[in-house]
Amino acid sequence: MVSIAEVSLVKVDRYYEYSEKDLVIEAYKQLETKVKERVKPDVVIVSSGYIDSIGKSNLSAVKFSNSLGFKGAKAFRVENGDNGGASIYTAYSLIKSGLAKSVLLIGIDKFSDLSSKQVNDFTATNLLYDYEYHLGLTLHSHAAILAKLYMKQYNVPYEYFANWPIKMHEYAVENPNAYLRFKADLKTVISSQLVAEPLRLFDIAARGDGASIVLLTEDSLAKKYTDTPVTLDRIAGASFDYSYELSLPSIRLAMKELDHRIDEKNIVELHDSYSIIAALELEELGLGERGKSLEQLDSFQINYSGGLKARGYIGGATAIYQLSEIVMQLRGDFKGKRAVGEKGIVVSTDDLASSSFIISLTR
Amino acid sequence: MRISPPKNWRLKEELYNITLGKCQECGSVFYPYQSICSSCGSSRIEKIVSRGHGKLLAYTVSYQAREGYEKAMPMPIGLIELDEGIKILAPLADAENVKEGAEVEAVLRRITADSSNGLIQYGIKFRVIDNAKYDR
Repeated sequence: MVSIAEVSLVKVDRYYEYSEKDLVIEAYKQLETKVKERVKPDVVIVSSGYIDSIGKSNLSAVKFSNSLGFKGAKAFRVENGDNGGASIYTAYSLIKSGLAKSVLLIGIDKFSDLSSKQVNDFTATNLLYDYEYHLGLTLHSHAAILAKLYMKQYNVPYEYFANWPIKMHEYAVENPNAYLRFKADLKTVISSQLVAEPLRLFDIAARGDGASIVLLTEDSLAKKYTDTPVTLDRIAGASFDYSYELSLPSIRLAMKELDHRIDEKNIVELHDSYSIIAALELEELGLGERGKSLEQLDSFQINYSGGLKARGYIGGATAIYQLSEIVMQLRGDFKGKRAVGEKGIVVSTDDLASSSFIISLTR
Repeated sequence: MRISPPKNWRLKEELYNITLGKCQECGSVFYPYQSICSSCGSSRIEKIVSRGHGKLLAYTVSYQAREGYEKAMPMPIGLIELDEGIKILAPLADAENVKEGAEVEAVLRRITADSSNGLIQYGIKFRVIDNAKYDR
């Protein structure tokens, strides 16, 4: 069995005065105050999408490991675009296989050091084909086309998508670690800046800076650090090409592998890179009818953090935030809106859900 | 914005032509061309140059620039179904009053330029031939 002994995260924000290393140290200091004994991980894994391109730093795991005093630990970074679920899969696999007894998983990304157009250029490297990058396309343009196809297929107006940011901002107001802690009404959403028609600013994840750390251990070791470990039951994943069929095959395949029906009793954090992707994820997970899912949000416990839309979006660190938040929900010490249930689900994808990992946790 | 001449040369079959692959084993058609089939794994792949002709299924206008593409803003972008049966996303040229369902064709256009050395990036865009609904 794989346990999560402890978690920590810093509030998502723009930290002009802090480097990536400063944010990781802040998150680690938090974690140290919560564990009963000093952490000595066998392996340090960094989950980051952009620390090499935006942060201009390779060998980041080695640098963080040395800075935190883990000399001798194995240290490496897992890059899978914005899908930090791959790093959770790696950490889980190391412990499950017996290769490591403890893994310190560090999520870190920092967008505010560059302008939006520079960041857009780096995020566009996640496009699956070279020609798309060289023609100047963006992830936003892909999502916009999906939104157009969805509106046509299900005969819904643009206002349908506004349900998502309105709900996410409502939740974020209660979360002290969220980036955008304000309510948004329909008028605010539909009059916000047009990014790629029909997508507006409120349909897009809010990029921020942050670090989150999770200490995973084998079952027997967890009690050394905490009295309230959470079990990471299963993790399933899949990758797939783009689909213009209003479905997300990577999630469908991961769900099949997970072999668990997600329902209203589960506490869910999903990767809402765009309102349209949130809708497609919900529908693929069975958490809403096709073409109606964004009108059925109150039926499920989804993204009480505020999601990428309002808690904030931290690139490859996002999944580590999601994992931390679900663990806190299951333990009952999440500082925002509280969910009820004994099973938590993290849905980690890249921004267009070409790659997905679904993680199941139990109190 | 840095343009790499070797990289552009390597990508000539997908940036200056729409070169497709057709699997001789399973019949899949894909873009860009590669020497292995991503559906069945076969290496028996025929190289086909697309007619560059098809139907506009949907379009958007992008207002948020990427570094190096500022002059292309706002950028109309379309989802095109080629006559060969595959769907690709590409910028639209001369896209005023464009309508979904329009008949479109590929054209070579200037995409961007490298501000440091003056190199120009060309690539495929699509323009409308006829705004009436196109049925193959």
